[in-house]
Amino acid sequence: MTATAPRPAPPSPVPTSSWGPVAGPVPTLADTIRAEWAKLRTLRSAPVTLAVAALLVVGLSALISFAVAQNHQRAGADALAHPLHIIQAGWELGLLAFMVLGVLVVSNEYSSGLISATLMSTPKRARVLAAKVIVFTLTAFVAGEVMSFADFFIGHAIIAAYPFPDPWVTDPNVVRSVVGWGIVATLGGLIGLGAGTLLRHTAGAIASCVGFIFILPGVLSALPSSWSNPIEEYWPTNAGARLTELTQGPHTLTAWWGAGDLLAFVVVLLGVAGTLLVRRDS
Amino acid sequence: MIEVRNLTKRFGAKLAVNDLSFDVQPGVVTGFLGPNGAGKTTTLRLLLGLAHPDHGTATINGHRYHDLRSPMREVGAVLDARAYHPGRRARDHLLVLAAAGRIPRRRVDEVLALVGLEDVANRRAGTFSLGMAQRLGIAAALLGDPPVLLFDEPVNGLDPEGIIWARTLMQALAAQGRTVFVSSHLMSEMALTASHVIVIGRGRLIKDSSVDDLVKASSGKVVRLRAPRADALGSRLQAAGATVEANADGSLLVHGLEAATVGDIAFQAGVAVHELSPLEASLEEAFMELTREDVEFHARAASPVGAASPAGAARP
Repeated sequence: MTATAPRPAPPSPVPTSSWGPVAGPVPTLADTIRAEWAKLRTLRSAPVTLAVAALLVVGLSALISFAVAQNHQRAGADALAHPLHIIQAGWELGLLAFMVLGVLVVSNEYSSGLISATLMSTPKRARVLAAKVIVFTLTAFVAGEVMSFADFFIGHAIIAAYPFPDPWVTDPNVVRSVVGWGIVATLGGLIGLGAGTLLRHTAGAIASCVGFIFILPGVLSALPSSWSNPIEEYWPTNAGARLTELTQGPHTLTAWWGAGDLLAFVVVLLGVAGTLLVRRDS
Repeated sequence: MIEVRNLTKRFGAKLAVNDLSFDVQPGVVTGFLGPNGAGKTTTLRLLLGLAHPDHGTATINGHRYHDLRSPMREVGAVLDARAYHPGRRARDHLLVLAAAGRIPRRRVDEVLALVGLEDVANRRAGTFSLGMAQRLGIAAALLGDPPVLLFDEPVNGLDPEGIIWARTLMQALAAQGRTVFVSSHLMSEMALTASHVIVIGRGRLIKDSSVDDLVKASSGKVVRLRAPRADALGSRLQAAGATVEANADGSLLVHGLEAATVGDIAFQAGVAVHELSPLEASLEEAFMELTREDVEFHARAASPVGAASPAGAARP
């Protein structure tokens, strides 16, 4: 049986590459990281999600700063109660955008079917998750810090136009708060990444994240206070927020212990997600 | 070389792969046949480490997939043609995989040319037809220039020219000494592509043989006889151990005897013979015969396939 293509001959089907099979270099974690970075760069979802986050963190915050300052001036107030808090008002929603990006980093692969190609190229699944975590952490941290500082300086400039005392980087804990939002956003995004790995479904993972940050803490506060107080105090996202607050207030956890609480939760979540990723059929 | 030993995989109550053992040799195209739901894709996923077996092993060149040091250089596979993100450009998709496998970037352009996608390499893969998707999948499988290749239903969605192209490619790959394992439910396609077949049904091995042997085993023992006084021959043939079936056109189908024997009997009876032809089963018929008991979803339609054809009725 001869089988030659009838029309414009397709290129010779015989692989002709000179470099031999099997003997090639063995891929390492660095190669998996390169692949994950290439994935992030070559889709529009990452830049679009980060642009949305920037719009919320910088744009929405600026709008709120302007509106609040304007209102207070008209009301004849001589100070803003929490000027830094106003400047950073957009971060609550910005955090959600980081979580969505974290979810997409994994759930994208399941919704498209790419996951089987990924796991065939890198059957060491823990390495795949580690590479995703590393690439996402670096990307989210850099983006988060850039957004947080941009937001701070722009918000400061807006409030400085009004006769209110406003926070500056030399004030105690202001830098920690600004840096802190970048860290919290990164860790929040990693919660999304863990949820995406566990649930393998974009909508389900995002819904779980929203429930976890915004809804569950409220529901739990309805419990008797002997229960709800410690839960509220140590709830990962609440505890992580200590890092962004200027004063410790009535809380048990200091800023960095609070961040540690959130980090510990992220580590446990990713550990469970990694274990399931390795054990489950893809 | 692929070795599958006692492979078993259960999904809930359903035994998808049931104590399956077979080898796939290098140098030839081996077809992996079975009706839909027979467990072909599950077996391939177990081989590729995408699913974990409940029992048994599936190894490639002596190693479980998970233990391969440089998997893309050792095995290439096309499971689901659309195993890519639709928003990513075709070249970028291959660059991602090349990075993961530590394969030089120039190899990406080589495989794009090999499958004929170089002109659309910068299009987002989501705009591809199923045929182009198959080609992109094949390009990904060939990135590492691996000695073992697995294809799951590779000609689905290809146009006739593409089917010939894929068939030529698989045979060329095998001719280079590679192990080529191709699943399909299309017997006619496998008859043209494969020289060895592994047939499974309901997760169990039904047949592991060369295509020639499979066809031979299902045929040769059916002879069509046309004779003016055929009725006079019936009892004699039955006495010789044959089963005789009368066709509507007056010819007889003789099961269980070689053509030469039938001719001798006719001669002894003094009956003139106008036609005496041994019937060969096609691979399709051989397959239907093999899997009749094991088809997952029986069609309710009246006439069972194969019963109308002489070879289908022949029992090896």
